Amino acid sequence: MSFSLNKSYKILLLLVIFIVIIGFWNPNALLDGLQRGSLYSLIALPLALVLGILGVLNLAHGEFLTVGLYFIFMLNTRFNLDPLVAIIPTVIFLLILGAIIYWLTIKRVVKEGHLSQLLLTFGISLILIETINIFWTSMARNVYTSYSYASMEIGSFRFGTYELLYILIAVLVLVGLQLFLKKTRLGQATFAVGQNPKGAKIVGINVNYVYLFVFSVAVAILGIVAGTMLPRTAIFPEVGSPFTLKSFALAAMAGMGNLNGILFAGVTLGIGEAVINSIPNYGGWSDIVFFGVLIIVIISRSYRGAR
Amino acid sequence: MRKNLIILLLIVIALTLPLYTGVYILHIFSSILIFLALSLSWDMMLRTGQLSFGTAGFFGLGAYASVLIVVNMGFNPILSLLIGAIFSGFIAFILGFIVLRLREIYFAITTLALTHVFSVIIRNFSDFTGGASGKILASAIFEGDPVKIYYLVLIVAGLAIIISEVFKRSRIHYAINAIRNDETTAKSSGIDVFKYLLFVFVSTSALQGLVGAVYAHQYAFVNPESTFSLNFLLLPIAMALVGGIYSTNGPIIGALLLGLISEYLKLIMPYGHLIVYGLIIVFVVLFLPRGIYSTIHNKLLKSNIIGGDKNANTASK
Repeated sequence: MSFSLNKSYKILLLLVIFIVIIGFWNPNALLDGLQRGSLYSLIALPLALVLGILGVLNLAHGEFLTVGLYFIFMLNTRFNLDPLVAIIPTVIFLLILGAIIYWLTIKRVVKEGHLSQLLLTFGISLILIETINIFWTSMARNVYTSYSYASMEIGSFRFGTYELLYILIAVLVLVGLQLFLKKTRLGQATFAVGQNPKGAKIVGINVNYVYLFVFSVAVAILGIVAGTMLPRTAIFPEVGSPFTLKSFALAAMAGMGNLNGILFAGVTLGIGEAVINSIPNYGGWSDIVFFGVLIIVIISRSYRGAR
Repeated sequence: MRKNLIILLLIVIALTLPLYTGVYILHIFSSILIFLALSLSWDMMLRTGQLSFGTAGFFGLGAYASVLIVVNMGFNPILSLLIGAIFSGFIAFILGFIVLRLREIYFAITTLALTHVFSVIIRNFSDFTGGASGKILASAIFEGDPVKIYYLVLIVAGLAIIISEVFKRSRIHYAINAIRNDETTAKSSGIDVFKYLLFVFVSTSALQGLVGAVYAHQYAFVNPESTFSLNFLLLPIAMALVGGIYSTNGPIIGALLLGLISEYLKLIMPYGHLIVYGLIIVFVVLFLPRGIYSTIHNKLLKSNIIGGDKNANTASK
């Protein structure tokens, strides 16, 4: 994991310039993009954490988000719990679910090749989607809250306030993760395992425990995301699936293990998507932003690596 | 000897199936054979050590190419199947120069991203491709005659099996295995790694395109959602895994087994019958990493039940 500050400042500066230009040109797209971007990076953070420390690309990542969304939906319909309050039980539930799934399956493939890892997590994702299908069918569902469509006005510019929460939570989760990795003993152990599992083992760190912990925490973070997302999103069994690839796109763009970079990458791509989306008649092309950037980044890295 | 007899028996059953079964069974077997061909084509690429997630993408490209030239230009449907295959192969040839530089996780993810890019492009060129609602053919191929469609699909599946066997029995096999086991060594012993990868990538993509074209003509429609559905990626992978990768027999056994199981489950479980695929994949990855075919085959070899290999076994001792 690298946290080189100099590079971060340069990227930050470029990002600020980018945001200011977009802000003057199309403020609506800017705000939309910031919100999308922070949501994307919020979802990508745990994926990058697992990828950086376990070295496993979790293809079931988006499905864990779906499970979280449905769990909150259930709490909301059965016990009339507000989605934002329901985050707490959901995080606990996902923490346990993540630990169980790690213990039963992921643990056995951590040291194996990428093929078994990809296939295993892919199998898990299929199981999760289909389990939801069995319980809730493929019908789209909604949760209504009074605050989710609140809006604010500054001068003549009107915008929704609820989605600003995404930005706040993205920053909070990122700062929380960084503090945890740097300040706590467990965090430092995690850091050490991410850099060199063998060395970490030699100095007496229980690597397996760290893996278990990182995987469950990564899944649990999705519970926070799910609670924040639910008031504004219609849910169906495949709702989380597109996020897996998008999260990987961000992790690849930021560079493996660079957690700050994910927020920058997420915001940049989110704004890019929003800008294209706001062009009349060409809105459909916005889906190509992530995949196009992903392909370009991977290929340009491969060319640079060859030299 | 016994092996040849089994193969002969299977061929006879496959050829005479329409004589003693109804439309419903024929339909099931047609779709199983479609997935069988996809599964084999995925496995052929995997034999080079490259995990491709682009199966659904090339499947969709072939399907769209063949349907569009029939609808927009009035081509003969059968000819259009070939054009679907050629188009997929051609796109794979161009993209191959870029993506075949990548390895492992990056190759897998890039091919998956390409699948999405294809579907976004097709959805947005709506004048030509029909956009999000897709295109509908005037009628299915052969006016929807299930027997003729079954034979067409059987020919495609047979073609996949033959290509897979050719790959296994010719010089390509050695080159491919060498690349998978150690690319640097392969390169230093004079194998043109890129050339072989490109050859396999283009031929498997063309095969996927052909399968896609046949599938589209069987159901007489294409649309971005269902034609580029990830099912055409995931189910073939599950089948190959269950049967056993790096072989021709594995994907065949896997496709028949999973195809029949899921068809049965579909009847008793309208929602979520695909869960069996997930459970089987997880189970196979964890406990039978070599697949059912190889595991059983090895067990049989050990207990000397397969007669023909007995001598080979004792000779090696």
